[in-house]
Amino acid sequence: MKLHLILRWLVFVTAALVLNFPVIATFITALKAPAEIARNPSLVVQNPTIENFVTVLTVSDRLNIYHYLLNSLLSASIGSLLPIVVAFPIAWAMVRRGYGRNILFPLIVNLRALPLIIFAVPLYLMFSVVNLLDTRLGLGLVLAVVNLPLTLMLLVNAVAEIPIELEEAARMDGARLPRLILRIVLPLCRPAFITTFVFGFITAWNEFLFGLILTTQKAVPMTVGASFFFATSGGGVQWGVAAAVMIVAALPPLLLGLIMYRKITGSMVSGAVKG
Amino acid sequence: MRLLPSQENAILASPMVLFLLALLGFPVVLSIVYGFSEASFQSLMSPKLIGFANFQLVLQDSAFWDAAWFSLRFGLITALLECVLGLFLAVYLAPLIRENGWMVAVLIIPMIVAPAMIGLMYRLVLHEFAGPVPYYFYEWLGWSPSFLSTGMVFKTIVVAETLQWTPFAFLLFLTAYQAIPQDIREAASVDGTRPWRMFWKIELPQMMPTLFVAGFIRFIDGFRVFDNIYTLVGAGPGGSTTSMSIYIYETFLRRGEIGKAMAAAILLFVVAFAILALGQSLMRRRR
Repeated sequence: MKLHLILRWLVFVTAALVLNFPVIATFITALKAPAEIARNPSLVVQNPTIENFVTVLTVSDRLNIYHYLLNSLLSASIGSLLPIVVAFPIAWAMVRRGYGRNILFPLIVNLRALPLIIFAVPLYLMFSVVNLLDTRLGLGLVLAVVNLPLTLMLLVNAVAEIPIELEEAARMDGARLPRLILRIVLPLCRPAFITTFVFGFITAWNEFLFGLILTTQKAVPMTVGASFFFATSGGGVQWGVAAAVMIVAALPPLLLGLIMYRKITGSMVSGAVKG
Repeated sequence: MRLLPSQENAILASPMVLFLLALLGFPVVLSIVYGFSEASFQSLMSPKLIGFANFQLVLQDSAFWDAAWFSLRFGLITALLECVLGLFLAVYLAPLIRENGWMVAVLIIPMIVAPAMIGLMYRLVLHEFAGPVPYYFYEWLGWSPSFLSTGMVFKTIVVAETLQWTPFAFLLFLTAYQAIPQDIREAASVDGTRPWRMFWKIELPQMMPTLFVAGFIRFIDGFRVFDNIYTLVGAGPGGSTTSMSIYIYETFLRRGEIGKAMAAAILLFVVAFAILALGQSLMRRRR
């Protein structure tokens, strides 16, 4: 029994190190000065420094990371809030009235499994017509489409869990539909809104394909901006700076995800099993 | 004035329906128009209808079939590896995780990092001068494979994808494993069932539906792969890592063949839809 316990710990530590290896190695590299990276590519830092992070977080001609961070923040906020706003009313109608359950619901849920590139090309053409190319609003709207399927599923689950007696009691008191939904259902769904928002925000922040195709300069999100540091023009890649950029870029979703990992894993599982 | 329930439903549905019509309905129309037209970035606003010529062009393009084969192989292999590894981790670590819930958080970190970012990280990690992986290969074995060469690149991206998404399979299996009623296990252990047999005869059959779901989702995700491959190697040496998604991207933005890209996207949609319908009908039958 004792042996098994040790073996299990060993397996856990190995899995944690191997699965997280790229992140760990990138973080270690970010702590090395440029001269040390050239000399010592190993995983042991001789002279740890925050020099690279200072470079990344200082605005310069060559680099303004706040521009990318702000673009990601705004487009990911639109991309995670808007689906909640548009999906909440219909989620109630689907649960309580069975409205759209047979066609609309499966249609939208299945959207999530389609390759995003299918939408990217026509959206590019549409955006060039309506002048939404390279705007945060445009990117946010597309990210909202990406998040819509899971948002709808999670909100349908949330409404279904509200005891119907609560709604019936309110009806008895003469509450009309708008009041019922805004005063009774909406507050009870608040935990689901938060989970859905965090999950959607992480998904939107991490999205890459649409940022790559639909933005060029003004609205470039962090994931795409980070890849610019690898464009080897002239002096080659500054590995320490590039590593620090990646850590900064990955940090917002990582922090959100780790703080709320129980909720996040819960929605991942229910999203997978019920789809 | 009181509204009829059907009117209320329509009002409740309208925000989402309008949103979808604007952001998906319009593009669908555009897809069909451009899929059957000849257009480039210079003649974007005046597509010329040419019937099925684009589809013919795509279907005769050997690069398209290579991409389809690549995506299929990549999806199947990664899904299989992720499920096997995830199942092992879930079942073997479950007793440990019962007392240490935080372990789940540590193991799901790869999923919270953007796939595009993981691809970039591997560029660093595998770099021949700055990367720790080749360094340790030289240090310990005296040689190092060139991970992004034509011969190795497929294996490299399979490993990268597998390491990032094994946590997903692990998470689903862990949930399914923990949901197996404890009295089934107790009844079996009273009968003297050994742990190994317990797994094969009792636990695994209980987890079968989840195994199917996880494998299917991972296959779909592997099939449509773009971000991590694109940021790590792009289309790869000699186009060897061109997935379906990358094929369409390159046709569209690199070569500006709009009609052909659109036709390929429509074909991909048909294929993805067929896979989805097939998978779901299989799953329904199992339930």
